[in-house]
Amino acid sequence: MASVGAPAEHTRMFSPLHRRMAATGSRYAILVLFGVITLYPFILVVSTGLRDPVSINVNPFALFENIRLATISDAWTLGGFGGYFKNTLLITVPTVAGTIVLSTMAGYALARIQFPGRNLIFFTFMLGLMIPFTSIMIPLFYELIDLGLFGSVWAVILPGIAGSAGFGVPLGIFLMRAFFQDLPNELAEAARVDGATEFQVFRKVMLPLAAPGIAVLGVLVFFQSWNQFLMPLLYLPGEENRPLSTGLYIFASGRVQDFELIAAGSVIMILPVIVIFLIFQRTFVKGVTAGALKG
Amino acid sequence: MAETKVTTRPRPASRGRRRAIARRAGASTARGSELWTAALFIAPALALYILLMLIPFLNSVYFSLTDWNGATLAKNFVGLANYAEMLQDPQLYEAFRNNLVWIVIGTVVPVSVGLLLAMIMWSTPRFALVFRTLFFLPYLLPIVVVGLVWNWIYHPLYGVLNSFLELIGFDYLTRGWLADGDTALYAVLGAAIWSAFGFVTVLLFAGLQGVNTDVVDAAAIDGANWLQRARYVVIPAIAPVLTLVTSITLIGGFAVIDFIIVMTNGGPGNRTSVLGFYAYNQAFQRNSVGYGTAVSILITVLSLVAAVVFIKLREGGRERG
Repeated sequence: MASVGAPAEHTRMFSPLHRRMAATGSRYAILVLFGVITLYPFILVVSTGLRDPVSINVNPFALFENIRLATISDAWTLGGFGGYFKNTLLITVPTVAGTIVLSTMAGYALARIQFPGRNLIFFTFMLGLMIPFTSIMIPLFYELIDLGLFGSVWAVILPGIAGSAGFGVPLGIFLMRAFFQDLPNELAEAARVDGATEFQVFRKVMLPLAAPGIAVLGVLVFFQSWNQFLMPLLYLPGEENRPLSTGLYIFASGRVQDFELIAAGSVIMILPVIVIFLIFQRTFVKGVTAGALKG
Repeated sequence: MAETKVTTRPRPASRGRRRAIARRAGASTARGSELWTAALFIAPALALYILLMLIPFLNSVYFSLTDWNGATLAKNFVGLANYAEMLQDPQLYEAFRNNLVWIVIGTVVPVSVGLLLAMIMWSTPRFALVFRTLFFLPYLLPIVVVGLVWNWIYHPLYGVLNSFLELIGFDYLTRGWLADGDTALYAVLGAAIWSAFGFVTVLLFAGLQGVNTDVVDAAAIDGANWLQRARYVVIPAIAPVLTLVTSITLIGGFAVIDFIIVMTNGGPGNRTSVLGFYAYNQAFQRNSVGYGTAVSILITVLSLVAAVVFIKLREGGRERG
């Protein structure tokens, strides 16, 4: 990272110190301005989500007029966000697990086993990265009804794994294939010479080496599955399986004036993603950049 | 698993013999085991992908050629009638116009802002990573939450936007931003841009890490100012990333629905209706499944054409430049 400073360091030799300071100052001013624009909506949600409903009628969006943690627990119990949270987990965990398992296996085969039609299969999967959800949302609706999945959590989990909503196996195979291609061949060869089967080579040698790639894919799919809105809106209309996204949307449309509960529900929804992001930040950023840049 | 029977293969003693066997007798069985493994590894992903991606995609082509309403058993084949109808549908034209505004502003603003911020972070690396973390945060937010919060920012009575305008003396500009037909589309766009610019910034910042700083230094020594260095050295060096980010934003712009559903549901009137929302509205709220699907095919074609044209233009520009 230090080498990035090189151009700025050199300029110092050629321009007066005060000019350089003014330039640096204005650059930081721009960064701080956008920082404030970035942060304000977050502060607004957190502050409103921690407010006492009694005080909300005067100016609902005054920042941190009072702090009442019970508003969050009110949203969890009275607002029903606890149930939505559970449903979101029930959708996200299988989606992430399924995407990881299927993409790792397929990505491995496409990267390291020679067989006829390999490129064709790979490009077929990559087609999925170019088909927007809008293009398939209508037929998928009727297909899920025909399959008897409509209204159950599987109506969101399975299309999620399949890649209908933009994450899932097309993205996963793309990332994992690239990852497996970069792994050295010697270890796998040595294991094969020692009599390991293809499955053992995969399971005992390659899979442990692929852990960083799996982590990247995992966080990427996690946050997109957690946040997804359109598939639950279209394919999970009932209350019992409703996740946080549509739960919050329907709650907010019905109880427009309950600002503090809407905000508290939002806090409940975004907190896990922010926490995981702050813990796995490098993995996250790597995933997002790799997911986009390698395409 | 099928592998179990392969493991019973006798394990030869010496290393040399093992290799020999792998080459001779083992060659066909090992090859067979490889093919089996490949098939078993790919089949589950492929089956799911075909069932829930490719079949719906092919079905959308089929549906678009029918007048299906979603309820009847029979789907009447009507050829290209839906596509002909689109040509004479004023609501589609309105959605298309709104979508164009969305794509142009929703691409130009985040990419320019992202480029500016990424280059500042790159040239003043102190705290750059703190700002990267900060700018990335909105991208992690669900669109539902982004929409709700911006609804509040635009709130006619309590919203911070109106308060701010009053504070700086522009009282006459205050309004219900999402209810006013003249501003609603731009207000929704504002929320969408807020949630996207950090993503663009992070990608461009990542692209900048690959730029050779020696060349930038050389340009500085030759007397090129900050803007010239950006224009002639840095931007050409990250052109591939820039193209990619722009095409991602373009394609996303054609398919946008969620922001519209969450913030305005197309209103007031059809002032914030875009193509994706119109397809959704026709198919799911007015039971014109055939027609709605035809609109979704239009979106797919437009977004692919736009992406290809943009990339071609970029390549052409690079060859000339």
